[in-house]
Amino acid sequence: MELRIENLTKDFQGIRAVNGITCTMEKGVYGLLGVNGAGKTTLMRMLCTLLHPTEGRIYYNGADIFEMGADYRKVLGYLPQEFGYYPDFTVKDYLLYIASIKGVSRAAASRKVMMMLDKVGLSKVKNRKMRKLSGGMKRRVGIAQAMLNDPEILILDEPTAGLDPSERIRFRNLISELARERLVILSTHIVSDIEYIANEILLMKEGEILHAGTLKEVTEKVEEKVFCLTVPLKEADYYMKNYKVVNIRTGEGMAHMRMLAMESPHPAATEDDLTLEDVFLHYFGEKGGEEDDDL
Amino acid sequence: MMIYELKKIFVKRSGKIAVLLLLLLLGLTSYFAVCDVKYINEQGQAEKGFSAVRMLRQARKEWEGELTEERLAKVIEENSRINATPEFNSDDVQMQDIAYGWKQGIYDIRAMLVRSFGKFREYDYYLADRLEPEDASKFYDNRVLQLEEWLDGEAKDTFSEEEKAFLIDRYKNIETPFYYDYFAGWDALFEFFPTVIMITVLILGFLAAGIFSGEFQMKTDAIFFSSYHGRGRASVAKLGAGFLMVTAVYWVMVLLYTGIVLGYLGADGAGLLIQTSGRGWKSFYNITNWQEYLLIVFGGYLGSLFMLLLVMLVSAKFRSATLAVMVPFILIFLPAFLQSFPYVIVSKICALLPDQLLQMNLAVCYFSLYQIGGKVVGAVPILMVIYLLLVLLLCPVIYQVYRRAEVR
Repeated sequence: MELRIENLTKDFQGIRAVNGITCTMEKGVYGLLGVNGAGKTTLMRMLCTLLHPTEGRIYYNGADIFEMGADYRKVLGYLPQEFGYYPDFTVKDYLLYIASIKGVSRAAASRKVMMMLDKVGLSKVKNRKMRKLSGGMKRRVGIAQAMLNDPEILILDEPTAGLDPSERIRFRNLISELARERLVILSTHIVSDIEYIANEILLMKEGEILHAGTLKEVTEKVEEKVFCLTVPLKEADYYMKNYKVVNIRTGEGMAHMRMLAMESPHPAATEDDLTLEDVFLHYFGEKGGEEDDDL
Repeated sequence: MMIYELKKIFVKRSGKIAVLLLLLLLGLTSYFAVCDVKYINEQGQAEKGFSAVRMLRQARKEWEGELTEERLAKVIEENSRINATPEFNSDDVQMQDIAYGWKQGIYDIRAMLVRSFGKFREYDYYLADRLEPEDASKFYDNRVLQLEEWLDGEAKDTFSEEEKAFLIDRYKNIETPFYYDYFAGWDALFEFFPTVIMITVLILGFLAAGIFSGEFQMKTDAIFFSSYHGRGRASVAKLGAGFLMVTAVYWVMVLLYTGIVLGYLGADGAGLLIQTSGRGWKSFYNITNWQEYLLIVFGGYLGSLFMLLLVMLVSAKFRSATLAVMVPFILIFLPAFLQSFPYVIVSKICALLPDQLLQMNLAVCYFSLYQIGGKVVGAVPILMVIYLLLVLLLCPVIYQVYRRAEVR
């Protein structure tokens, strides 16, 4: 199985949301990491045939996905960022409906729905109206619907957004489990999600892929190092202004700081291993994504 | 898939309210249709209700039969006989009511005499009281003469010579003598039919407006269009659900209304020419009440389908239920505004607008004529053909518009 993207570009009334992306994906979890407005959602919508690219092509096993049409969508599962649902449908009815539009036969649909409800832990609320579910439950219904057709390609756009920590952990484990047999493309701006489950990370900025590779490969490309330093609180301002501070924790008049720098900022500073969060800060800075939130 | 699409519409509170509202308005309209029928008893008092209907029917049934010269003369004689009674000539209103009650049996035929002997665009109720039995021989000829006189005078510049000839020909070609029977059921049924159909269309407009735009408004579009059938059978299912909803609701409303009104007032007179009634006297469509009924219900169905498919098209194209729901209101109420312009061309255009299909009982009475390839045709057949073609055209257009939707 191979999903190949060639020179993919999308313009919206003069604004380039995706700019000449080229990459190839196979089985595994691909984490698309970028700030809001980096073009992740636009890229995913093109991968789901919801948007036509301005330029470039997407091939699934060598065939253009837009020419494949329904044949491509048959192997596709998608959980959009904004998961819409029919509020007056019960969970079961909702999933049965989605199964029908996904081409799951009527005979298999009931079995499949019950199986997915079991998998996402919603069997007990199958007869509850969708509008009465909690945010976490709705996301779980979202992943269940995406999996109903047993897709080869699973595209999840910000699947953990708005979930509490325990829901997020549960979700990550579920995605890891689902990813064994398929290609999962996961978009998020929550770094830890990607760090834990992605086999390959695609760093996206201003519609382009800056770097792609494993966590190790991506971190190795960062020239800066990460340093930990504890200084009196009154000196913290200096470091905040002159360094990329990843994290700051204060207590007892001291500031415990983690920062990115080419050289050690202080003789007392100790070097630490780069995490994906450090990489994120390196590429996107603290204020990345405050504009163009919808791209 | 279609079942779920229908479920999306009717499982919502608004869907349930719409159905209840439809039934409520149907009940009200049916009540208004039947409650007008009254019978004046021997004491000159007005009776209402089922027994009044029975009595009125009995009184009119006494005059059932072909309206030959002899029978018409008999009606004129009967009218004169009642006019000569002390009750009729009394100053006491109750006495006059008693006399009026005696005329209930001949009421419809008397009204036809007024139309036949009066001017084309006038109605003088007392004209029948001035007729003599020997005038009866002119009854059918008068209908044509009045038309000719009107076409040569007041309507001289309204119609072409071909159109005038067409109208006269249709008047002359009507089968005479007319047959008369009690027909109050059909009369009441036709009078309120446009109300029933328009209410149905307006409320169905609310339901149909969300079928296509709902996916965008509820943000379910991304999952819908990225699914296997999203741009194919699932879109067809939406169209199918819309079609099924319109068809089922329309026919339930129409048949319930028909059942209530004819069940209460009686279905006698189905085979009568519409010209035996006041509303159809001038019509150039030589059809029976039953044929008019078929025209009304099938024309109404075609009009409803067209308007609601247009609602669905706007809903699919502009992704807005609010915009879509305005379509039937515009199509129904705009022509009333246009008709205030006193131009023949405007009238000709208005007579071909889709609202006419919702009020075929009026369309069959209008002198809306068109010349196509040297042949004069009335508006009714043109309406049926045009809107049937448009309905057939709209279905694939809606499908194509919707299946190509992009989700940004």
